[in-house]
This record gives sequence, structure tokens and C-alpha cells, in this order.
Amino acid sequence: MMDMLTALEATAFSTWLRESPSLWAYPLILTLHTVGLAVLVGPSWALDLRLLGFAPGIPLRVLEKAFPVMWAGFFINGISGLLLFAADATTKGATLLFVTKLGLVALAVVNIAAIRRVVYRTGAEPSPGVLARGLAITSILLWIAAIGTGRWMAYV
Amino acid sequence: MSETLVAWLKSTAISHAMVELPWLWPLCETLHFVGLALLIGAAGLFDLRLMGLLKAIPLKAAMQMRGWAAVGIAINLITGVLFFVGAPAQYIDNPAWWGKVLFLMVAVINIAIFETKQGKRILEMTADAETPASFKIAGAVSLASWAAVLYFGRMLPFIGNAF
Repeated sequence: MMDMLTALEATAFSTWLRESPSLWAYPLILTLHTVGLAVLVGPSWALDLRLLGFAPGIPLRVLEKAFPVMWAGFFINGISGLLLFAADATTKGATLLFVTKLGLVALAVVNIAAIRRVVYRTGAEPSPGVLARGLAITSILLWIAAIGTGRWMAYV
Repeated sequence: MSETLVAWLKSTAISHAMVELPWLWPLCETLHFVGLALLIGAAGLFDLRLMGLLKAIPLKAAMQMRGWAAVGIAINLITGVLFFVGAPAQYIDNPAWWGKVLFLMVAVINIAIFETKQGKRILEMTADAETPASFKIAGAVSLASWAAVLYFGRMLPFIGNAF
């Protein structure tokens, strides 16, 4: 496993990404990772807050449009995250913190899919029940934990 | 002048805490990114409606999201000030930091103009009203300036030397 991470980190691309002083290398990928976070978590939280009863005038039916936006954010961060991982595979890949972060992101994304299934079962304007509100709370908490573990990776 | 300010800030108890408690800086970073996502989620929805998208959302209902955008801004102003007080020297001569402050000013002035001059007009509009050009500009300026704030924030370690 460690051999694979070492090999990944030693590729010409990883070396360039890590060591190039260009703002188009590591800084651009890191910026995209932050943009993807905002595009994924921002709409997710807007939907969660609406499910919890805030801004009740916003029709839930319209917020179904947020799902493709969230998936776009997830796609941006899947790609940019893979590149950031390739650049520092041995130091990032082997840490419990990183594995925990991946687990939290996976749970948060499954949580979004579950919200879609629970809330948008029918074609009518949905009325969120206890389950939908519970999922909204876990969604908010999972993203906070995922962001926290991600941020902590830079300081250990 | 800036040396005096930096020296004074670094002598404060808050500054010592930010640098010496190993968990405090990453905790503030976490909150800063939580605030970022909350701001973009809440303000983004309102901005898109101002720009004439998502017309199925009544204008007044979209306005209700502004409170959460304000919470995001408040979290990020507080944590941002803590970063600055914690390590003022790495920001005050950092061009990326000044870029961030500049676009933060643009965003805040844009909000101030909208809230004082245009916001009240929403109350007279129908729920599915086409927004006037001034609203579309306010929404676009908001989205663009927050994106610029994010970009220059992310560039703090690369254009300048902040950690």
C-alpha cells in the first residue's frame, strides 16, 4: 500500500503539482476544492434549513433543482481531491484523519441521496416529516465534521 | 505605523492564545469554512433569484434566507479577525489579504446599497415578478465579489506567505 502511495507521489504530474511555483498548479486545485465545497455544502445546507422550517415561503419543489448543483460540486471535489491526494499521497493518504474525512464525506453524500428519496417521493409539493428533519440535522452535522477533519489535515 | 500595530496585536492575550493553543487555529479555520459554505448557500440562493433565475421562489421567501447569510458573514468576520490578531505580520504585507479585504468591501457596500435603496421595493412586487436591472446587478456583484473573497483567501499562502 505504502509502495503504491510512494509511486503515485513520485509521478511527474504529482511532482509538478506539488513543487511548481505556478499559481496554476497546487493553488488552483486547492481553490477548486474550496469552490466545490461551497457549491456542494451551500445548497445542501439551504435545503436542510428549509426542511427544518426556515424560509417556509420557499417551495420545496423548487429546491429539487439544487441536487444537480450539489452533484456538480461533488464532482469538482472528487477530481480536485484526487489530484491533491496524488500530490501528497504518503503524508495524506496514510493518516487516520484523512480516512475519517473520506468516511464523513461518503456519509454526507449518502445522506443527501436519502433526503431526495424521502422528501421528493411524489410529484406534489412535499411536506417534510420527522425523518426528513432528522436527515437535515445529520446532514448539517456531517458536513461540519467533514469540513473540520479536512481543515485539521493542514495542521497535523 | 504597521510595525506598531503588529507588535501591539501580538502582545494581546487573544493573539497568544491563537498561536499557542494548538487546537484553536484549526478550530477557527473549520468555523471559517463552515461560514463560507453557509454564506454561499444562503446568499447564493437569494442572489440567483435577484438575477432572475429560480422565479418559482417567491421574492419575499428568497429574502428569508438573508438571515443565514448574515450568520455566515458574522462567523467569518469574527474568525477572520482572530486570524489577523493571531498572526498580523503574515497578513498586513500580503497582497492576497488586501485583495480579500477589497472585495469584502465591495460585497458589504453592495449589501448596504441594496438594503437601503432597493430592498424595500420587493415588498411591492408580486411573488413571481421579473426583477429590475438594478436587482440583477446587485445579485451578480454579490456572487462575483464573494467568489473573489474566496479566491484571495485561498491565495493567502501562495501570493503572500500566510499559513
